Amino acid sequence: MARRGDTRRLAFLLAPASVFLGTCFIGPLAVMMLYSFLEPGLYGGVEWNFYHWNYGRILGWADGEWEEFDAVYVQIFLRSARLALTNVAITLIICYPAALWVSGLPARWRTLVVFLITLPFFVSLVVRLFAWVLILRPSGFLNSSLLGLGLISEPIDIIFTETAVLIGMAYILLPFMFLPIYASVEKLDRSLLEASADLGASPLQTFFRVTLRLTLPGIAAGAVLVFIPSLGNFIVPDILGGAKVLMIGNLVEQQFLSARNWPFGAALSVMIMIVMFAAIVLYLRAIGRQEEVSP
Amino acid sequence: MKRSWVRRLLGLHGMLFLIFVYAPIVMVVVLSFNANPINMMIWSGFTVDWYWSILGYPTQLNEQTLYVESTDQLLAAVKNSLIVAVSTTTISTVLGTMTALALYRYRFRAQRFYQGLLYMPMVMPDIVLGIALLVFFVGVGVSLGVISIIIGHCTFLISYVFVVVSARLAGMDDTLEQASADLGANEWVTFRRITLPLILPGVIGGALLAFIISMDDLVITYFIAGVDSTTLPVFIYGMLRRGVKPEINAIATLMLTLSFIIATLGLYLRRRS
Repeated sequence: MARRGDTRRLAFLLAPASVFLGTCFIGPLAVMMLYSFLEPGLYGGVEWNFYHWNYGRILGWADGEWEEFDAVYVQIFLRSARLALTNVAITLIICYPAALWVSGLPARWRTLVVFLITLPFFVSLVVRLFAWVLILRPSGFLNSSLLGLGLISEPIDIIFTETAVLIGMAYILLPFMFLPIYASVEKLDRSLLEASADLGASPLQTFFRVTLRLTLPGIAAGAVLVFIPSLGNFIVPDILGGAKVLMIGNLVEQQFLSARNWPFGAALSVMIMIVMFAAIVLYLRAIGRQEEVSP
Repeated sequence: MKRSWVRRLLGLHGMLFLIFVYAPIVMVVVLSFNANPINMMIWSGFTVDWYWSILGYPTQLNEQTLYVESTDQLLAAVKNSLIVAVSTTTISTVLGTMTALALYRYRFRAQRFYQGLLYMPMVMPDIVLGIALLVFFVGVGVSLGVISIIIGHCTFLISYVFVVVSARLAGMDDTLEQASADLGANEWVTFRRITLPLILPGVIGGALLAFIISMDDLVITYFIAGVDSTTLPVFIYGMLRRGVKPEINAIATLMLTLSFIIATLGLYLRRRS
């Protein structure tokens, strides 16, 4: 593939994006990391002193002289991780059978259904969440219907609970779980399933020993793609969780837009990033091992 | 038979899945035509007055209950969104396509690094990128406004265009380009006459995707928009925070329609190619 004059052309093609991403993507992340080690100014802004208490406040080595350690931050982190993992489980349970269903459809239907499932991804997030506010609020669709049918006697509180946040997050992130799983189900070698059945395995055994194993890469990819945006989400908990379900994203937003403690907000944000990288590394290792087992 | 029983259960699940995905959207569209200004959930007749009222025209509904906050603000937000979306689409399509060409037509040492770099903005949680950009702009002294939003959107949209164009390039060999070069065409002619027409469906697909995502972006824009540069999603988010109002149904329906049209156009182009 190598041709003469390649270096010059390559440089021409790569330079603009390199300069742009270098300054406007890597740059901001670096500045944010730098901020997380600076001292918060009294009235917003920063003092240019090395200051590790931002992390101490979260992780526990702040001794009360400069900053107070408060376990609430770790708790919010854990709650966010719990909600994000629950969301991974919910979307997996919804999407896996759906992917099996779609892959079993006749070819011309398949494209249409996949398109229909991914279409809402193109609809504005705020519009999709607005729809759920209309459904879940006390005078909303769900309560109106249930009251109308006489199934309940007074409105139930769903909005501003963890349930509402989970419904909203599952709704907006479904395509991210569906597509990778569908891609791996689609690639599945049907003859292996037949072989398994011919050798006397029950359908259930075939599913757990063959289908599920072979589609693990899809599941892993979907899990990462759902986990990361769930963890740092602040719009869903803000709209559907109110002040009651605070997630790490809301905490970061508060530090930037109301508490005006940017270094602390940056430190929280860096921690989200670390968890993100950990998730990706775990994923890559899992995929690597999978490839060793089934080349 | 047992198999068909399983299939039927899967089919039922699939139907429920599609209902779960579409019911909320359909509900918003239906409610946008409901004439009841007090309780949205009670149908009291068909009307298009909400659409007129968001455009600032006096309507029957409007006389009883004045809901529209400011049509001027809404229109300004739409204008900002369009300016941002058109600029970011142009920039990210050019840069994304160039990068895809570099990575799929050449071999070089930093290839894997670039691949990683280009995937990073797509997996980075929105809030992290949003506040990193905010800190950066304030630190460097770029005032928050339309320009900062355009820069911010480009940081992740280049990656989306890159992925779409790469998918196109990956399924193509470079025989025609080689032939064109052998026949004496210079680089520019080869690009314009051979490469570009071949990758055009991918480029247009990437551009449409970038346009939709830019129009719809909420989280990153929320952090880096200045006071006077609110975009449409941020504007609706602000309205929503202050309370649910029937006009939002109408605005939401218009946005839905636009997204659906662009997405369908994208699919159509992809199937034709």
